[in-house]
Amino acid sequence: MMTIIEECTGDCRPRVGVYALTSCYGCQLKLATVQKIIDISNMVSFESFYMLSSASKMAADVDVAFVEGSVSTERDLEELMEIRKHSRILVALGACSVNGGVQSWAEGEMDHDALHKCVYGDSKLTMQGLQATPISKHVDVDYYLPGCPPEEDEIMYFISAFLIGTFPEPKDYPVCAECRLAGNPCILIERGEPCLGPVIVAGCKARCIGFDVPCVGCRGPVPHETAWFDSLAQTFLRKGMTEKQIRQRMKIFGSHDPNIERMLHSILGGETE
Amino acid sequence: MLITKDNIYDTHKCRLLRKYELTEHESLFLFRFEDPEVAQNWRYLPGQFVELSMLGYGEVPISICSSARRMGFFELCIRNAGRVTDRIHKLQPGDIVGIRGPYGNGFPVDQFHGRDLLCVAAGLGMAPLRSVFLYAIDNRWLFGNITIINTARYGKELLFQKELEAMKDIATAENIAIIQSTTRDPDWPGLKGRATEHMDKANVDPKNCAVAMCGPPAMYRGMFNYLVDAGYDPRYIFVTLERRMKCGVGKCGHCNIGTATSWKYACKDGPVFDYYAIISIPGLI
Amino acid sequence: MRYVKISKENTYKFLEHLKATGALYAPQKISDRFYDFCAISDVHDVEFEYDRTIRPPRRFFHLPDEKMFNFDMTRHELTPVKTQAEHIILFGVHSCDIVGLRIMDAEFLDEQKDSYYETRRKKGIIIGLSCLPDEYCFCNVRRIEFVDAGFDLFFHELPDGFLVRVGTVTGHKLVDPHPELFEEVSADDTKNMELFEEKRSSMFSIYGNWDNLRYFLELRMDHPMYDRESEICLGCGNCTLTCPTCRCYDVKDLPAINQVNGERVRFWDSCQFRSHGLVAGDHNFRATKKDRFFNRYHCKNAYCPETTTSYCVGCGRCTYFCPAEINFKRNLMEIAGYRGAV
Ligand SMILES: Cc1cc2nc3c(=O)[nH]c(=O)nc-3n(C[C@H](O)[C@H](O)[C@H](O)COP(=O)(O)OP(=O)(O)OC[C@H]3O[C@@H](n4cnc5c(N)ncnc54)[C@H](O)[C@@H]3O)c2cc1C
Ligand code: SF4
Ligand code: SF4
Ligand code: SF4
Ligand code: SF4
Ligand code: SF4
Ligand code: FES
Repeated sequence: MMTIIEECTGDCRPRVGVYALTSCYGCQLKLATVQKIIDISNMVSFESFYMLSSASKMAADVDVAFVEGSVSTERDLEELMEIRKHSRILVALGACSVNGGVQSWAEGEMDHDALHKCVYGDSKLTMQGLQATPISKHVDVDYYLPGCPPEEDEIMYFISAFLIGTFPEPKDYPVCAECRLAGNPCILIERGEPCLGPVIVAGCKARCIGFDVPCVGCRGPVPHETAWFDSLAQTFLRKGMTEKQIRQRMKIFGSHDPNIERMLHSILGGETE
Repeated sequence: MLITKDNIYDTHKCRLLRKYELTEHESLFLFRFEDPEVAQNWRYLPGQFVELSMLGYGEVPISICSSARRMGFFELCIRNAGRVTDRIHKLQPGDIVGIRGPYGNGFPVDQFHGRDLLCVAAGLGMAPLRSVFLYAIDNRWLFGNITIINTARYGKELLFQKELEAMKDIATAENIAIIQSTTRDPDWPGLKGRATEHMDKANVDPKNCAVAMCGPPAMYRGMFNYLVDAGYDPRYIFVTLERRMKCGVGKCGHCNIGTATSWKYACKDGPVFDYYAIISIPGLI
Repeated sequence: MRYVKISKENTYKFLEHLKATGALYAPQKISDRFYDFCAISDVHDVEFEYDRTIRPPRRFFHLPDEKMFNFDMTRHELTPVKTQAEHIILFGVHSCDIVGLRIMDAEFLDEQKDSYYETRRKKGIIIGLSCLPDEYCFCNVRRIEFVDAGFDLFFHELPDGFLVRVGTVTGHKLVDPHPELFEEVSADDTKNMELFEEKRSSMFSIYGNWDNLRYFLELRMDHPMYDRESEICLGCGNCTLTCPTCRCYDVKDLPAINQVNGERVRFWDSCQFRSHGLVAGDHNFRATKKDRFFNRYHCKNAYCPETTTSYCVGCGRCTYFCPAEINFKRNLMEIAGYRGAV
């Protein structure tokens, strides 16, 4: 059930590693630039964090590893395995790591080989590509810290919780809750725009809706099988969206959700895996 | 008696005096209030609970499992079940926690006076029932015969097994029947089976007996059928219910139970409910 | 009760005076279809004819999220966060929302008073405003379409201004210093109020009294409506978060990075979310979406002794703001077999 840092007193500081697989480096940039980064580096010892220190090395022995990026190449996979072996707690950091990210968007539409061919033609690549997947497809993940990029308050909460020897309690309710608390008008109701707020996990304080843009789902589906893609697809159909639009939109960040295809199939028919 | 600060969610400091391992996952914790004024005035009923704060980790509802006789002291029997309770299990004697309460209605022990008493516990249900049982022993002259049935799946999970066993010395002389039984343990040398299977050993008179029970809903259903058939007075059958609780004072809404005509908060209107409440409110057990 | 009259023009002047007394909030349009109680800078922005606000007025007293305590883990101390005590003036509150606040009072100001709520509520000034129902409203069958308590002043629309009921001493104190703005009520004004009330009554889409609803809800607990409707429900919580009488909240400890300090915070929760009924060992008392859907229907139709009404005040928000267009009123009518336009 829980993996937490054992109490350590005096000089002993928890060892932390921050790693990147295939990603834009935005998540570690976020971590590196949180307001209290100095406080954090006083409380923990960064054994590996390429963005902050050239003394970093791949897969140092750490108490907590934050891994950003999806597994998109053979090398990603090897590194991820190494990281897991050397880390007591593994946290998936950000949308790519948690849900596969935009690079896994094409999943279900086109298989990896076809996609590869369409982008690179017959040219040879040194790195063997893989279908982009969330890291949980390959290793045990202890905690998920979603976001594109993750939110500062959640990063601070996770690290603080680890520091006092407990585990963070991730949010398990949808963006709509924060949207309502923030006082936004609901753009799904009002304009029928395809807001994914009802199936996406909260934490961003409904940022996009605050800017009058419907949620595209970057934080990924609400966990514990409570993302009701089927019900939302029905709502979207009523609002006049086409089956293709619905499927595509929900899969931008959610293509790896174990329920999505079954649920969409029950409403939209068509494609199954 | 409830002693609240100006802010009802504020806590009183309590010092852990002793920690005693009962089973693999459950330990008994003895606490004392730091503030002498609170210590002298704090009173509780069996079946009431406290909210225990571990700052930084959270707050959890825990039944008081001691007898109310020792002023300023109380005991909690806590299972290591998650974030907060895990932290509580790491406490050392001398450590401080925050306590508010006692909350809930508790068992209406006043109504029990003059009657025989039957306590039926399953698993962690023994925690609140120990408080009822010890109360009856402390006030022995207010009760008729007493039976306590303590059950668990395995012998190693039987809470307060040794304590109850040790009491058997005085039990016969005091007209107290102590029955401890396991439901799934092939190696258990003692009694086996559910509470209903041991009712023949109870030394109480159904017509004039108060019943206090704490365990899973399935046990309540079985016992209700048995007790009503055996002629126990339903007005004196009480059970306690568990729900998620965040505030303990009827505010946060998590412990809500019931349906439209009988909407209740388990923390405020319960956690102890009588037979008629249970059968008239769908979904309680 | 004392009654006075104010012209529409003087109403704006009165609003200016209110603004000087404290933080004035009143309905404003925030988008094509939606209104909210907003801080008023220009009193001419106040919307007198609005249907319902997307956020319920309870948010001024029971904050959507709130820091309750600062704590110190080494000294084991909780320090309550002081609630700031500025006057909050809510202008333009409809009957349903006034009863909604009284229901909140019943829950938060019982023998165990919530001091955060209490401090703010004591500083709250509630000014009611008459309204005309749309097809979502059903306050009449909830017996709350005309309130007689819970407001300091209540503005009833007249063709040339408002007839104002003065409900409390606070109300008197708001009116008395401004004799130049108010006049006595004439027989014509009363007649106009009568006509308004008559028009209002005729506009409801349903009539009668739903006091027996909760019994039908229990007698028909296995009604197919629950399956059918929970199936399309998104579990998004909008119905409870917009409701003027929902009050569920969750509490969380946020430790600081220094391993010493931290905050205990609370924030609105909803029974439509999974963890609302979850306990240790992963047992969930409301495990399915249908259980959670069912829970709201029963909670809202329970009886509140303090107001002698149901917890639902018939404001229509849970339907108007449901992205899945689930119609609470229609579903209840279906269960109880009530007739009327939906
Ligand atoms: C009236 C009452 C009396 C209880 N008495 C005892 C007792 O004597 N001994 C004992 O070991 N346990 C008792 N419990 C259960 C105990 O409260 C939970 O085991 C505890 O809350 C788990 O918290 P956690 O943080 O360790 O676990 P987590 O699973 O990490 O829980 C997270 C949060 O969920 C809530 N929660 C989880 N489970 C429960 C639950 N079962 N009941 C209420 N809230 C919950 C709490 O707010 C908790 O902080 C009682 C519960 C109730 C309602
Ligand atoms: S705008 Fe989107 S996130 Fe906000 S309430 Fe509507 S559906 Fe939910
Ligand atoms: S509103 Fe949606 S897309 Fe925007 S930040 Fe939040 S989860 Fe991401
Ligand atoms: S607002 Fe509608 S869709 Fe959302 S939880 Fe409520 S009933 Fe379900
Ligand atoms: S249940 Fe719906 S109609 Fe009733 S008060 Fe709440 S939001 Fe309004
Ligand atoms: S239980 Fe649900 S319906 Fe009832 S007050 Fe809480 S959120 Fe509202
Ligand atoms: S625990 Fe909060 S209402 Fe019962």
